[in-house]
Amino acid sequence: MMKLLILNKRNNTIQNILYYHPQLVPITIGRGSQYLQIDSRFHGNDSRAHFLDRLVIFLKVKISAILLQGGKLFLILLLIVSSCSNPYKNLTKTELELNQVKDIPYSLPYLEKPVIYKTDIQFYKNNISGLLIIKKTSDKVYRIALTTQFGLKIFDFELDHGKLSTKYCIEYLDKKVILNTFETDFNLLLMQFEYNSFAAIENATDNQRIWQLSSGKLYYDYIENNSMQKLENIYFKKRNSKKISVGLHSYQGDIPSEITLEHHNIKLKMNLKLIK
Amino acid sequence: MNKILSTLVGLLIFTSILFAQEEDFTPAHNIEKVQNELAKLTENTQTIQSPFIQEKHLSFLEENIISEGNFYFKSPNQLRWEYSEPFEYLIVFNDRNIFIKDDGKISTFDTESNKMFSEINNMMIGTIQGNLFTDSERFYVKYFENKSQYLLELEPKMEEMKGMLKIIKIYIDKSTISVAKIKMIESSDDYTSIEFTNRKLNQAIDDETFNLK
Repeated sequence: MMKLLILNKRNNTIQNILYYHPQLVPITIGRGSQYLQIDSRFHGNDSRAHFLDRLVIFLKVKISAILLQGGKLFLILLLIVSSCSNPYKNLTKTELELNQVKDIPYSLPYLEKPVIYKTDIQFYKNNISGLLIIKKTSDKVYRIALTTQFGLKIFDFELDHGKLSTKYCIEYLDKKVILNTFETDFNLLLMQFEYNSFAAIENATDNQRIWQLSSGKLYYDYIENNSMQKLENIYFKKRNSKKISVGLHSYQGDIPSEITLEHHNIKLKMNLKLIK
Repeated sequence: MNKILSTLVGLLIFTSILFAQEEDFTPAHNIEKVQNELAKLTENTQTIQSPFIQEKHLSFLEENIISEGNFYFKSPNQLRWEYSEPFEYLIVFNDRNIFIKDDGKISTFDTESNKMFSEINNMMIGTIQGNLFTDSERFYVKYFENKSQYLLELEPKMEEMKGMLKIIKIYIDKSTISVAKIKMIESSDDYTSIEFTNRKLNQAIDDETFNLK
């Protein structure tokens, strides 16, 4: 038997003590708010442990191990639970024509002038910062470039009817997985993905109108604050589980001067601040 | 009507002068003489402080992106690069340390651990002090001149750098033998130019300028 101390990362206090048999369950070290410390100085007498006790310990450790995985599994569990119920189920939904998508009060996809955002991208342990330039070059065609503050280009993409192509990209970002992620992100920000249904959902309690575009299992929710008549959030969901959340804040006229974009299944976060 | 016409003519002359400035460089006749002159660069630039204007040209934009700030350099390896418009961003190279202040947050790096920053650092210092021109292992160098300036065109030899930059143009004032402008041209012909607008050479700069806490 081993003694497991479950410690709180913040204050290093012991939250729980579990007795653990190495043959019963593999050790999982958590990366969240708690972590495990194995106190090998403790050796209980295995032969005296009753079968039922062992079972209880086994279950306790198993559950703790799940909770310990950085809350990640817990989050997934929550998502599974939440995906069983549609949050907009009891709200009034009106189906709209696809061409009414321009009624969404969102100007970023339609701007004729280029916009420049000071941008921070946190991608796992990497931090890339620079200026993001978005320019609509013709109908449904955009140029999206990131340069460092010194001017050197990090990437230069063209988004043509939702398809991303690379004009230039520094080697270390020039990987299919990363480029696909950028494609999804910019399609979401510029509403360039394909969809085959469009509806407006009224959420009176939160004073919101949800403009929902969808294609099969994929949902793109553009959430309007009714009193501001501006978009506050964008969510990209698969079934009902959120994959990407976007926050739009501090409008300057029609343009949000702050945009935050966060992925829920990978460690990728973008912060944009308007400079022009 | 006359007024408009004269303004137009004036504008035309003015723009043609601007073009001429960029264009009237001819290959330097006596390269050795130029090289001897440029050898003074290191000595002339123990310290530099100057406001700068940076212009970024991207082929798909009609207007260049312009940013401004202040530049400080102290030999041999202290550099402070401070952007104030249209955003605030500060980077300081001090020996092996790099400090970046962005959005009020200060981050520290080690040049050894960050290859990109150490490249930028070497290039800036090498450009300003002239060691870059003699680096025949990494660059092909061509010498040009006009009445008031020398123009050096540096073409990277190494594959890694070629992918980023096609040519670096360095404009050096003949009267003061100091770098007036740097233009970095990417393989796509997009470029960044940095002009040092009011250079003060060899005036004391407090070491604290290169310390960020």
